[in-house]
Amino acid sequence: MSGVRQGWLVAKRELRERSRSRAFLASLVIMVAAVVAAIALPGLIDGSGGSRDVGLTGVTPAALGDAIAAQGQAVGTEIDVRDYDTLVGAEQAVRNGSVDVLVVDADRLEWQGRADEQLEAIVTAAIQISAVQGRADAAGMSAGDLDALLAPVAVDSVELGHVAGRSPDDETAAFIMTVVLFMTIATYGAMVLSGVVEEKSSRVVEVLLSRIPARSLLAGKITGIGLLGLGQVAVTALAALVAATTISDVDLPAVRGSVLLWAVVWFVLGYALYATVFGALGSLASRPEDAQSVAGPVSVVLVLVYFVSFAAIGSPDTTWARVIAWLPITAPIAMPTRIAMGAAAWPEPVLAAALTAATIAGLVVVGGRVYAAAVLHDGPTLTLRDTWQRARPSHPARHLDGSRPAGIADSSTVGDDGSDGTSVARTGRGKTVAVALVAALGLAALTVALSGDVIVGVAVGTATYAVIDRISTAWGGPNEPSAPGPPAERGTEPTTTHNT
Amino acid sequence: MNASLAFTAATKSFGALRALDACTFTAEPGRITGFLGPNGAGKTTAMRAVFGLVELDGGAVTWNGRAITVDDRARFGYMPEERGLYPRMRVRDQLVYLGSLCTRSTSAVGRAVDDWLGRFDLTSRADDRLDALSHGNQQRVQLIAALVNEPELIVLDEPFSGLDPLAVTNMSELLSEVAGAGATVLFSSHQLDLVEHVCEDVVVIDHGRIVLAGDLEELRASVPDRFVDIAYRGVGPDWTAVPDAELVDAADGRARLRMTRDVDVAHIAASVDQAADVVAFTYQPPTLSELFRRAVQP
Repeated sequence: MSGVRQGWLVAKRELRERSRSRAFLASLVIMVAAVVAAIALPGLIDGSGGSRDVGLTGVTPAALGDAIAAQGQAVGTEIDVRDYDTLVGAEQAVRNGSVDVLVVDADRLEWQGRADEQLEAIVTAAIQISAVQGRADAAGMSAGDLDALLAPVAVDSVELGHVAGRSPDDETAAFIMTVVLFMTIATYGAMVLSGVVEEKSSRVVEVLLSRIPARSLLAGKITGIGLLGLGQVAVTALAALVAATTISDVDLPAVRGSVLLWAVVWFVLGYALYATVFGALGSLASRPEDAQSVAGPVSVVLVLVYFVSFAAIGSPDTTWARVIAWLPITAPIAMPTRIAMGAAAWPEPVLAAALTAATIAGLVVVGGRVYAAAVLHDGPTLTLRDTWQRARPSHPARHLDGSRPAGIADSSTVGDDGSDGTSVARTGRGKTVAVALVAALGLAALTVALSGDVIVGVAVGTATYAVIDRISTAWGGPNEPSAPGPPAERGTEPTTTHNT
Repeated sequence: MNASLAFTAATKSFGALRALDACTFTAEPGRITGFLGPNGAGKTTAMRAVFGLVELDGGAVTWNGRAITVDDRARFGYMPEERGLYPRMRVRDQLVYLGSLCTRSTSAVGRAVDDWLGRFDLTSRADDRLDALSHGNQQRVQLIAALVNEPELIVLDEPFSGLDPLAVTNMSELLSEVAGAGATVLFSSHQLDLVEHVCEDVVVIDHGRIVLAGDLEELRASVPDRFVDIAYRGVGPDWTAVPDAELVDAADGRARLRMTRDVDVAHIAASVDQAADVVAFTYQPPTLSELFRRAVQP
């Protein structure tokens, strides 16, 4: 019975139990749909390559229809021209959307809503040309000379974006990648946290640890939940790749196989880093309500990482953008977006990944020791310092029988003084909402400023708020009733029953 | 010291508190050993030491004369005092999971789980979440979790705590059955009178020290004190007048006398019969509680 096999059993349980939940399936579907929509919709809405419909009515030069089509072709837009007998019928066609713009008497354009500037330019140019043709005919110029004179010149329009080789659409794709990475790392990290706290508070951990070593339990839990997250990220990345390659109008260098593969690798690294920290911190909390107070700082760090990675997308050549792509704390979100923006030179991602992996290895040792020392403790929530002292071989004191070595009692945090956990949880909740709102508004504003796209900004802000809210719910958690057991008799004076 | 659980000078301190103080005792296969003592005496700490949940400061816990390994623990069963399982996991899945942590054959675990669920009338609840079950049924699931790997050693921390009289009987029958099949059974209790008839061997611990250990009937017989319990009708006489006996306790229609084992019981019986309308008369060695009091009061 090896620890590895047992760890795998733990991982399988996590996979099975969690993949069964409707919440997981719903989040998977939503994320895939959102990413595919984000890639496909701009192409469909923008219509820079799509076909447009122009209606003609009233007194119109005979060549106007052809002129409009020719002008459209010159800028790569296919245009269908339709003639309408009556103004009423033509306007009805505009109102119901079957015609994008109506040309009335060759001197008025009618739109359903705001004028499409590109189409307006095409149609206006065509009207000018057909008017010139009319006047040239009157002046006796031959048709061939005139055509040669008026032949449209093809003009290319290029969006440079912030980075060479990447367009604003690529930046949007990188934004979305940041959101997806942050969401999955935060969500699955929080699952590890709540899972550890659930096992500790329901006391099942004592049954488990009587059969398997603590490190197998923690490693198995992190692996199982991580595989689930990897599945979600891989499916999302695959959907993004399929959407980007099958929709012919989309040309996004940021959404390519190699870039997405790196994103998956960085998810694994980022998740492993944060899940180890979350797992170790979760073992300090005695009750689900305390999870937030022990892991809160990490969540703040994670949100900040998200924030700066976001800001770095638009300016990947600044010094600070390079630094955060190397720091193991920020790299899991900052480096993949840097790769997506084509700003990372070849050895950079590999070296940063190695650095992060080394950090993870160190955290596993430290976190595993904290976990093993704290997870069986059944007093109030511990502090890291106490736990570390208890984990040291020279201080093996694990006061499992409810007796506390002096000093630990004094420095324990929430719940030690019997203050009600609900008020703690409530103020924590209020704080979370405030933090989430500020972060969401800040990110939304930043996104709008950088991408110039209000819809993406709103989406990013909403997603930010939703994620922070979701994490805080996972931590605060529904107050899980602990499994059966007699009321705790710990701490009572030693008495024997002598009822003869 | 074969096929048994042995504590040898096991010592453990939590700060200034000495939870285990050079504890030495054994639990033998095929027998039910009661590990008894007041709350806070060190029972839970000792039991956790068997499973490596507590690291001893000194001394050792051995199984079959050797240090206990992870493989050994795969053949142990443990029901902690703080009961706990996954509240939201289905009953059968949960038991199969806990069982498979100990053994390689999932199908054998599945069969064992189904057998136990059937025995406790829980087959119909196999696919329910644990928290949908009543408190009593959750306790049964917890017990199955400790027994599902057919353990050679089963350690139960306060298994009788919170049980009604019928459940106490069922539990003690179950323990007898498990021990009868050859397993070593060690259970703890702070309610000495409740479990007096369950244990064959007892280990009594107080303030971390073992104060009494051995075959319960031997221990009771070896003490010089004997007791006579009398139930009678009508007006009670002056029981202090019975020769060679000392009145310990008297209530309506009942009296308890103490004497040494040298005193002729027939003689006592005759004088008691003369003094009152006797309904019941029993002569026996001290109860477990009295043994305990003798042991802790020097």
